[in-house]
Amino acid sequence: MNNPIIRTEKLSKIYDSGFRTVALQDVDLQIPKGSLSCIMGPSGHGKSTLLHLIGGLDRPTSGKVFLDDMELTSVDGNRLAEIRSRKIGFVFQFFNLLPVLTALENVQVAMMLAGIGKKEQEERATELLNLVGLEDKLQSKPNQLSGGQRQRVAIARALANDPEILLMDEPSGNLDSRSEEELLEQIAKVNGQGKTVVIVTHSETVAAMAKETFCIRDGELAVD
Amino acid sequence: MNHFKLTWKNIVRRKSRFFFTISAIAVGIASLVTLLSLGSGLETEIRKQADVLGANLVVTPRGWCAYEQISVLTGETLPEAIPNADVKKIAALEGLTAFPYLTQRTALKNQPVPLLGILPAEMKQFKGWQVGQGRYLLDDANVVIGSGIARQFELKSGDQLTVRGQEFSISGVLQEVGNSDDLAIYMELATVQQLYAVGDKVSFIAVKVDDITRIDQYILDIQNVANVAVTSDKQLLKSVLAIVGSVGSALQLIAAVAILAAFFGIVNTMMTAIYERRREIGILQAIGSKKRTIFSLFLYESAFYGLLGGIVGVVVGFVFSYFAAPYIGQNEFTAFLGSEQSVQLFSAGITLKALLFSILVSALAGVYPARQACKLSPVEAISYE
Repeated sequence: MNNPIIRTEKLSKIYDSGFRTVALQDVDLQIPKGSLSCIMGPSGHGKSTLLHLIGGLDRPTSGKVFLDDMELTSVDGNRLAEIRSRKIGFVFQFFNLLPVLTALENVQVAMMLAGIGKKEQEERATELLNLVGLEDKLQSKPNQLSGGQRQRVAIARALANDPEILLMDEPSGNLDSRSEEELLEQIAKVNGQGKTVVIVTHSETVAAMAKETFCIRDGELAVD
Repeated sequence: MNHFKLTWKNIVRRKSRFFFTISAIAVGIASLVTLLSLGSGLETEIRKQADVLGANLVVTPRGWCAYEQISVLTGETLPEAIPNADVKKIAALEGLTAFPYLTQRTALKNQPVPLLGILPAEMKQFKGWQVGQGRYLLDDANVVIGSGIARQFELKSGDQLTVRGQEFSISGVLQEVGNSDDLAIYMELATVQQLYAVGDKVSFIAVKVDDITRIDQYILDIQNVANVAVTSDKQLLKSVLAIVGSVGSALQLIAAVAILAAFFGIVNTMMTAIYERRREIGILQAIGSKKRTIFSLFLYESAFYGLLGGIVGVVVGFVFSYFAAPYIGQNEFTAFLGSEQSVQLFSAGITLKALLFSILVSALAGVYPARQACKLSPVEAISYE
């Protein structure tokens, strides 16, 4: 495979808090730059764990994760936070917006954490929310938005610092079919801008648009 | 968006918790401010009273306790214990002038007022009093009053007042001197002795010496002619300030206990906030927050509580001391803590100290919870339902 932006080597994650659970076992994975990939598989078989490890949200028990050529598993917590802030955007199934903030502020927070000034935050957050079709919802709080609208705010937030990679964990899990269609449009648009998109999903509709699909079963990788 | 805005939004999200936490801090800081405010002018006030007394030596009965020494300066009621015979012996000594005081208390319109028995002519000369209204006549039917008493009870020369069932005419009102001399009724010494049935005794004697360099010799001379204790004004001031200082420290300790209670209140509030916002901490980490940023956010939050609670506490403290001072001043045992003269209605120094203390204590209370918050793993926090 040419030019992988994400690469894992013998990636394993074992939880051992009195009861040993193997969440991932020796996963070797390569995701090409600019691709749209899906990770599928039954619930509880390690898809989200893989996404968290790729995104530097969690540390593996053994094995390595490379982002471009940087080994994520060897960098310290602060550097990892910087990488999450600058290079990776996350979108979660439950949207995970901050409930006390408006849509605009939720997008701004990501930029605030990256050290971007207030004026630029506001301009870019407005632009991103326009891009996802929420120009009239800038001052709405998450509880005033529908599921689909919340997910679009989450996408805008994930794109706030112009990351190279967008990691999405069951992004359509809480959406109706119409919202899912809108989400797919957004994903296609983002991927069309050259960003690498990795989606963990159960949805066949979402998987259908992926150029590459990986399947995780019992913590092991099986290419479909 | 900035860290402070985010902090503020988090603080006010739970209105009742916000209110109660602020109240807890405010109570602690208000008690501190009240004590500082009541006591801050105290040292100045005591020094001023020592000047008002104007004596180089103070002659008191042997065995007087510290409280009685304080009362010499505050003008509180004192027991009568030095006989006129001793007063005369001391007054007869060369190189000094003696001014006997008999301090009693009467009431005007049901409010306690100091009544001082003095030798009229000697005292007027000693104090340099000027008469503002009427004339300076003190005998068995006439008294003079300080300007503060005249103003407070709307009295003027020619008015009558009753002491122990006997009517007296106010012959004159003294000109304002800006100290406790304004706040007393002055009566001829013999009349007070008779009215209060204390025989021929006085409470203490203020002594003015001609040659300050011979002060030790004067003390020996006085003690040779009478069985009394003699204290120099400086010694008296020093011991009174030491007593007041230790009482003040004890009261500040009480305030510290209130603040300690607020400290644990903040720890509890912050721990609850972290428990409730675990998921949000995870979200912030997922979108790029460093652990130290999470730590700072929670530390700002607790410090913010300190700032707001401190502001409320300072206001409440000053307001409370304003209203409490007259009542505290009426009690003999607490009079030295504060009177209307010694209370500072506003002090930039106290405000600054109290606010800084409040912020510091609250920030310290936030350290442990903030450390707990930044220890959370992003995945665990995000998965928290």
